[in-house]
Amino acid sequence: MALLEVKGITKTFTRRKKTPHIVLENMSFSVEQGQYVSLLGPSGCGKTTLLTVMGGFLTPDSGQIILAGNKVEKPGPDRGFVFQNYALFPWMTVKENILYSLQVKKLSQREQKERLHELLEISHLFGSENKYPVQLSGGMQQRVAVVRALASRPEILLLDEPLGAIDFQMRELLQEELAALVEGAKTTVVMVTHDVSESVYLSDRVIVMSANKGQIVKDVYINLDRPRDRQSPEFKGYVSEITELVRQAFSEKAVDIELPSGFAETNVNYNSQASFTDAFNRMSNRYSRVNHGRAAK
Amino acid sequence: MERNGSAISTDRTAKLAPGDVFEKYRGTFYTIIVVTILIIAWYFAANRIQNTLLLPYFQETAWRFFTAWFDYRIMSNLALTLRRVFTGFLYAFIIGIPLGLLMGYSQTAMQAFSPIINSVRQVPIMAWVPLSIIWFGLGDGPTVFLIAVSAVFPLVINTIAGVHGIDPNYYNAARSMGATLPDIIRDIVVPGSLPSILTGCRLAMGFGWMSVICAEFIATSAGFGFLMVEAQVRLETAELYALMIMSGLVGFIIDKGFLIVEKKLTSWRYKDGIVGS
Repeated sequence: MALLEVKGITKTFTRRKKTPHIVLENMSFSVEQGQYVSLLGPSGCGKTTLLTVMGGFLTPDSGQIILAGNKVEKPGPDRGFVFQNYALFPWMTVKENILYSLQVKKLSQREQKERLHELLEISHLFGSENKYPVQLSGGMQQRVAVVRALASRPEILLLDEPLGAIDFQMRELLQEELAALVEGAKTTVVMVTHDVSESVYLSDRVIVMSANKGQIVKDVYINLDRPRDRQSPEFKGYVSEITELVRQAFSEKAVDIELPSGFAETNVNYNSQASFTDAFNRMSNRYSRVNHGRAAK
Repeated sequence: MERNGSAISTDRTAKLAPGDVFEKYRGTFYTIIVVTILIIAWYFAANRIQNTLLLPYFQETAWRFFTAWFDYRIMSNLALTLRRVFTGFLYAFIIGIPLGLLMGYSQTAMQAFSPIINSVRQVPIMAWVPLSIIWFGLGDGPTVFLIAVSAVFPLVINTIAGVHGIDPNYYNAARSMGATLPDIIRDIVVPGSLPSILTGCRLAMGFGWMSVICAEFIATSAGFGFLMVEAQVRLETAELYALMIMSGLVGFIIDKGFLIVEKKLTSWRYKDGIVGS
C-alpha cells in the first residue's frame, strides 16, 4: 500500500458576492515510501492548497488524505512541514528550534541529545547549535528548517516552495544541499515548486498541475541517477518536456485563492496576458540562464 | 545632516582621541555640548533677569540639585514616590499583559473588550483624580491607582500589537510539530510579543512616572510631587527647579534600565546578540 494517498480531494473557496472558485476537484494520486514528488504548476493551480490540506491546516470539502493508514485531520508531527519562509522561531537557538517537536513531546534529555547529534550531523550544523536564526545565512536557515521538520521522524516531509525566496545564484547550491540532506534522511517528500529545473533536479516524480481545478496534466517520472547532472541531455530533455507541459497548464486562467493566514500561493501573478508572458519567460529564462552560467565557467 | 556632522567630527577627533573610542561615545559628546550651551544660556539669562523667583541662578540651582541627593527629606520622599510608581506599574502589568495577550490572541475577546478600553482610555488622567480620592481617600491609594490607570493602556495596546505582529506561520509550524495551546502560548505568543511588551513597559513606566507627580500635587501630603508644591508655596524656586531636573533624570534612568532589560531579554533580535546556552 502506498504511504500517502490523496483521495478525491475537492476544495472550493467562496468569496462574498463572487461565484465559488473550485481550486481542486477530485484530486487523486498516491506517493510510495521513499519517493520524492514535486507538485509543479502555475500560480493558482492549487498546489499550495493541496499541500496545506496534506499538512492538516485546511479541511477539504470532500475527499481525504491517508498517511500510513491514518486519516489526516489536523497538523501533527507525523508530517514534517517546511514553510516558504522557514518560520524558524527567532527567539529560539538552532538547538531549541530543532528539538522543539521533541521538547513538546517531553522526550528525555538523553533522547533529545542523541537526536540533536544525529540531526546536526546530517545537516553539517555543528558549532552553530547555540546561534539564533538571525545569525545564520539563508542556506543554514534552510538546513535548520529541514532538520527541524525531520526531528520527530515524520512519515513524510512536506516542502512549501522551500527555495522560493532564494535568489537565483544561491538556488542551485541550496538545491544540491537539500538533495543531499533528504537523501541522507531517507525520507518521503512532497514538494511544491514553480521552478521546472528545480523539480527535475530533486524529484523522482513531477506532478504537473493545471490552473483548471487543479487537474493533473501529467505525472512525469524522472529516471536519472543521482547526483544529477544539469548539463546532461537527458536532464535538459526532462526540463523542456515539463516546461512544455507547464505552458499548457497556463491555458486556464488562475484566480486568487484565499489560504489560511501565513500561506501564500506563488507570489508571481499570472492572471493577465502580459504577466503570463512575463512569468513564462521567467520560468524558461531560469533554465537557459543555468546553461549560460555554466558555459561561462 | 547626520552624514555631514559625522564626517566633520571624525576628522576633528582624529587628533583628540583614537577614532574607535570617540565613535563609541559620540552621542554622549554631542549631548554634553548641547547641555553646556543650555547652561551658559541659563547663566546669562539669570544674571540679566535678576529675579530669582522666576529664574534662579544656575549656581544656586546646581548647588540645590547636588545637595538634594544627600538630603534625607528629599530622598525619603523620592523613595516613597518610586515605591508608588513600581506598585502602580505592577498592578498595571498584572492586569494589562494577560488582557493584552487575550485580546491579541482571541478575536472574540478583542471584539468584546476593545470598545470599552478605547473609550475608557480617552478619559484624561487628571479626570480620575476626584473619583480616586472618593474611592481611596488620601495617601498611597489614589496615587497608586492613578499610576496603574495611566500605565495599563500602553501595556494593553502594545501587547495586542505584539501578538498581532507574530508571523502566522509560527503558529502553523508549532502546531505541525505537535504543540498544544498551552505550548503555543508559552513558546510562541509570549516570546513573539515580548519585544512589543517591553516597549509597552517603557511607555507605561514613563506615563506612570509622569502621573505620579501630578497625583501627588493633589491627593497626598508626601512624595516627590508634594515636595514640589511645597517648594513653590515657600517661594523656593531654585529648589523647585532642582526637583524638576531630578524628576527628569530619575525618569531617564528608569527608562535606560528598561532599555537594558529589553536588550538582554530580546538579544535574539540582534546579530551580535549574547547567546545563552
